[in-house]
Order: sequence, then C-alpha cells, then structure tokens
Amino acid sequence: MQRLHARYPFLSAAREAVQSADVDLVALVREGGPAVERGVERVRRALLEGTAESEERYGARAELLSYPVARVLVSLLDAPGATEKYARAEAALAQRRFVADFAEERSLRSGGETLSLGDLLADFGLSGDVRPTGDGQFDVAVAAYLRLSSGLDGEDWRLVRRRLHDGVVPVDNAELETLLREAVRERVAEGLPLTVPDPIAEGLSEAVGQLRTAVADADPPRSFTGRMEPGSLPPCMHALLDRSRDGEDLPEHSRFALVGFLATFDDLDAHDIAAIAGLDDPERVRYQLQRLRDDRGVAFAPPSCATMQAYGDCVNQDDLCAEIAHPLSYYERRAGEPSGAEEDATAD
Amino acid sequence: MNERTREYLRGRFGDHYRQVSIEPPPRANEREWGYIPFSEGGTRMVRHRAWIDLVGGADDLADALADDSVRPQHVYYSAGSYDDPGANSMGRKGWRGSDLVFDLDADHLPGVDPEAATYAEMLATCKEALLRLLDILAGDFGFTDTDVVFSGGRGYHVHVRRADVQSLDRSARGEIATYVRGSEVEFEDLVRTEAVGGAAGRTSPAEKRTLPPEGGWSGRLHERLEAFVDELVAMDEDAALERLRAFDNVGEKKAAGALRAMRENREAIAAGNVDVHPAFLSVTRTLLTEALAEAGAPIDEPVTTDINRLIRLPGSLHGGSGLAVTPLDRDELADFDPLDDAVPDTFRHNDIAVEVTEPGVVELLGDTFSMEAGEHRVTEARGVFLMTRGRAEKAPE
Ligand code: SF4
Repeated sequence: MQRLHARYPFLSAAREAVQSADVDLVALVREGGPAVERGVERVRRALLEGTAESEERYGARAELLSYPVARVLVSLLDAPGATEKYARAEAALAQRRFVADFAEERSLRSGGETLSLGDLLADFGLSGDVRPTGDGQFDVAVAAYLRLSSGLDGEDWRLVRRRLHDGVVPVDNAELETLLREAVRERVAEGLPLTVPDPIAEGLSEAVGQLRTAVADADPPRSFTGRMEPGSLPPCMHALLDRSRDGEDLPEHSRFALVGFLATFDDLDAHDIAAIAGLDDPERVRYQLQRLRDDRGVAFAPPSCATMQAYGDCVNQDDLCAEIAHPLSYYERRAGEPSGAEEDATAD
Repeated sequence: MNERTREYLRGRFGDHYRQVSIEPPPRANEREWGYIPFSEGGTRMVRHRAWIDLVGGADDLADALADDSVRPQHVYYSAGSYDDPGANSMGRKGWRGSDLVFDLDADHLPGVDPEAATYAEMLATCKEALLRLLDILAGDFGFTDTDVVFSGGRGYHVHVRRADVQSLDRSARGEIATYVRGSEVEFEDLVRTEAVGGAAGRTSPAEKRTLPPEGGWSGRLHERLEAFVDELVAMDEDAALERLRAFDNVGEKKAAGALRAMRENREAIAAGNVDVHPAFLSVTRTLLTEALAEAGAPIDEPVTTDINRLIRLPGSLHGGSGLAVTPLDRDELADFDPLDDAVPDTFRHNDIAVEVTEPGVVELLGDTFSMEAGEHRVTEARGVFLMTRGRAEKAPE
C-alpha cells in the first residue's frame, strides 16, 4: 500500500495515510531531509520542466510526505500561474503512472501494487459516471464529461462534436486517460494556494528562496500594465538610464537591454520610451519595439542578470538582487511591495 | 400606467394570491428571492431576499405574496442555491450550485417577426421549439425529468434540477447551450476527415469524410441525410434530378453524378461516408447546414449560462400580461393553449370597465377581438391583459 500511496499521493487513501502517520509537519520542515528535498524538486521541476517526476530515488515515505510539502511550497511561492503549472505537472506524472498500471492490470501481471481503473474512478467519485462498453471504449456521463473536459483545448472536446446520446459521451481509451488526468489536476489544484501557518512558512523560507530564484530565472514577467514606477527599477536600469540621459551613446547590447526592459510596460509607446531614455531616434526605438511586442517569445526577451553581468551592465547590486535572476523579476518584486517598504529603503 | 390602474391591478393580484396555493421550488430556503412591486416606474427590483424574509410566518408562498407589503407585479427566484442567499452581493452569498435553465422566448426565435406575427402565432412557434428542446434534452442528455413552465409572457422555461448539473460552471453550461441551439454548429465541425492513403483507383479521394452515424448532432444529421437519400432513390429519375438541381451550384451533370453515387453507395452512405461523389458532398453540406439551423432549439443562451439568474416563479402572475406562469405536465403540452389555459380563474368571472388607449387586436380566452380606443366593458382577464401591457387604463365603474 505504501508504494501505491507514494506513487499517487493525491489519492484520498494517501491523504489518510499521511494523517494517520501523525507527522509533525513543523518539525519535518525545520529538520529538512529527503521529504523536503523531494518537495522542492517536485515544485522546481514542475515549474521549469513540466513534470513532477524525480531524478533521484527516494523512499516511499519521502515521496508520500513530499507531496504535502510541495503544496505548501507552491503556495508560499505565490508566483502567478505557479499553482496551475504545478497541478498540471503532477497530473501529467500521475497519468504516466496510471496508464502503465492499467496496462499491467489488463495483462494480469499486477502484484497488488498497481492502481486499477476501478480504484482510480472510485477515489474520484466517478464510479457511476464511467462505464466500459468494450473495445477500449467508454461511456462517460455528460455532466462529468463537461466538468473534466472544461480545461481542455481542442475542437474535438467540444460537446457539439461528440456523439452524445442518452446522457453519455462515448470516449476512447486515450480520451478517458486525458479526462482522468484532468480529474487529478483538479484535485491537486483544489485549495491552492493554501494558507500556511507561520512556523511552517519559516521552516521553508530557504527552500522558497531557492525556488524563487530558479523560477524567476526561467520565467521573468513579460509585460506590465499600469504606470512605470521609477522607484522600483533595478540598479542596472537606473545606471543605464542615467548614462543614456547624459547623452552617452550606449553600446548596442546595453541599449537593447534598456529598451527591451522599458518595452514590457504596455502603456509606453516608442515616443515615451525615447523620451524617458533620452534617445533622439524614436524610429529606431519603434523598430525594436515592434519586434519585441510582436513576439514576446524568448528570442527577443530582454537579457537576464547573467547576461547583464557578462556585459558588465550589472552594477550597484542591492539586497533584492541576490534573490532574483532577471531585472524584470526585480521590478515585479519591488513594485509589488507596499510602498512604505520602498521608502524605508531609500529614506536617508 | 396611472395610479388608479396600478392600485386596481395591485389589489386584484393580491386577491388572486389569496385564492391560490403556490408550491415553492425545491430548496426554496437556499435560493435568492426577488420581486418587482407595483409602484410608479414599476421596474425597481427588490432582490437579495432570503426565503424567510419573503415568507416569514405565512403558511403558503401565495399568502406571503398576497400580503400588503409585497403584492408583486413580478416574482422571481434564483436558479442558484447559496449558503447565505440573502447576502447583498454574489460574492458573499456562497454559491452551492444551480439548476440548469433554458429559456425560449418568441423575441429570440429566428423566422419570427415580433412586429408582424400575432401573439398566438409566436407562442405556437415557440411551442414547436420547446418540443425540439425537450427532445434533445431527453434523447441526447438523458434529462428526462424536467420542469416545463409557460413563462406567462412570450415563451417557455425548462428547469433541470438533478444533482449532477448543479455544480456545472458557466463554460460547461455554455457547451450545453451551444449544443442545444445547434445553429452555431457547422457542418465541418461534425465531419471527420481521414487521409486515405495508397493506390486506390483514380476516383478515390485523398481524404475521406465521414459523418459518424448514431449519437450527437452528427447522428441526428445523418438520419436526415439517410431520409433524404431514401427519398431520392425512391423517386423517378426526372423528379430526383429536378430535386437535386434545386440546390445551389448543382447543374445537370452534377445532379446526375450525385444521384448515381447515391444509388451505388447506399451502404457506404449508411455507414457515414459522405465523400462518395463531389456533388453529393456539396448537396449534403447544404442540406445539413439548413437542417442544423432548424433542428436546434433557439434558447436564449445567457439565461442558461448565468448561474445566478433570477427566474420567474411558477404559479405567480406575469405582471406584463396578467397570465399565470404555468407549470405543465409533459402530457398536457400538446393541447396547452397559453392564451386560454394560463388565464387565472380569478379574472374569468367579472366584467370590468377599461379605457383603451392603444387600440388593436386582443387574443385571449379563445377569441380574437379588435378593440377600438375608448371606454369598454370587457371580461376582467382581457382588461387585465390590456392594462398590464400598457394598452388600457382602468375606467371608473
Ligand atoms: S542583479 Fe540583475 S537586477 Fe540586480 S543590478 Fe544586476 S542585472 Fe540588475
């Protein structure tokens, strides 16, 4: 049973196992150890690589306990889209596992450590909603179908394209697995973000810091709405702005970094940016802006701290710089703080 | 509506509620209640009422409505159930779930010109749409247990209250609405296209399109197609060709080709293959696109997708017609004549004096009258109908 819970930590039975094991979560996170390590890995890989699978081998207990730890971590991380991404990754991992298990069950080689379709359906309260009709086909009750397919893209999931009859939607095996993945995703996301008690948050603060750096590095914000707050700019951008306004002709990479950074403010047009940065060729700004905004993809993303450092544009680092990996993440963090904190930092 | 008319209607609506009994919807105490009182202006909605606020200690819902403090022109309850239905904002009510509601209104029926059609004609068209709706709900969705209600105005409401629809969100309800309407579905949405590989004969298309028979819209349309093909194959040659040539862009040659393909490919067509001939495919596309527009039920989508919608209370009076919002059994439906059967008993027995301000036709109680402007004595139901519609004022008796 332990192994099954470790592989499917979101099952009600697994939740009960954690509860009855009477683990002191505060002590667990304070002491660290494999469950916390694995919890950090779950979230990190989920956010960066789209999977919650481990690259190392952990014991069943660590696996099982790492799931509640991961849910706490992703809640503390409090980054936009993080809980959704995390839930999607957990669901993808679960799908890989149950697909393998179902195959094993079908081949009757199961040694009782695999999850059967019936068990999974029962755990999700779907036993009455899914009925096999033979040949790898299933009938799914329409209300359950609508609930589970609502997050799925693709015209083929639209109800009008389904052969709905007598209250059921026929699906094939692969479609059923996708619907079950959605059920897992829904369950993982349920209740997230959690309200985390202080002692647990404190115990995990270092882990959260690490995660924040890893995530910010990979995924800086790509656009800001509302006014640009000069007080929230990172030191590197202050420096570039000062140089540019003083009339210096910035080297290409520096100019690109500065304009690229300013271009993420949706309200600013080429003229505004040229004016703010003291550039006297708005046409060139417009050209760069067009490429940046047409394709907010990776190719034209403004440079990360690492790139800035490589070009010598990273100057006057402050405390916040240690926690982020991209000037845009710096701005996001600072602009998100209550304004009092910012004044404190600069009042002298 | 002048003061005398308003006071008259308010009094008579109250008399009506004193005489009848109204069965509340299930879980009445979890729902939000609202009503529009008879007051000047007449559109101020009193809402966010809990059951207890409305009913208090009354024995029957109708008694509560008869009370002088209420006596509403219109009464509504929410499709949604809440932890705290009397809370003042949706956010604070705590949503638990909602009935699935469908609204068919003559105003929204395609092919009905509300200016030109008579009230009775509109209602008849609406009833046909209602029967299609019930058919789709029962046959496709398995929703056989539905509450059907004449709205008291220009149409019908259908309530599905079963447990498994309660938690459906807006987007799921939108999927249902789109399905039921049919009109936004396109032929191409329903056809499966498969690449057909290999070295088949020269007539073999590179793609094979099928309309999966059985189930869903594709099944329903496939049935139509089968009926059409059967009909054509049974006709004599000239009649069949003429029928085919009536389609856009189908000339003599194409008609002959399509007809031959139909005769030679009965089985393939029965299995869903619509790619048996290019002209057949285009005829099919036209035929089924038309069928899609007509076979659905033109429900008012926002009513179905809104989980917090307020719906007219079955058993109450519609303040814009004086007709009763009438719950209907499935077997009463065929014979139900809203302009007679929904006339409340209260208004059937007396004659009253009214001053007609907007002359014209009145269809009610099985008769059609043409009313001139000026003072008349009419059956109370007709008078109430004219006054609630703003076409007459109460005259002194
Ligand atoms: S660490 Fe990053 S944000 Fe801070 S100054 Fe250097 S480049 Fe700018």
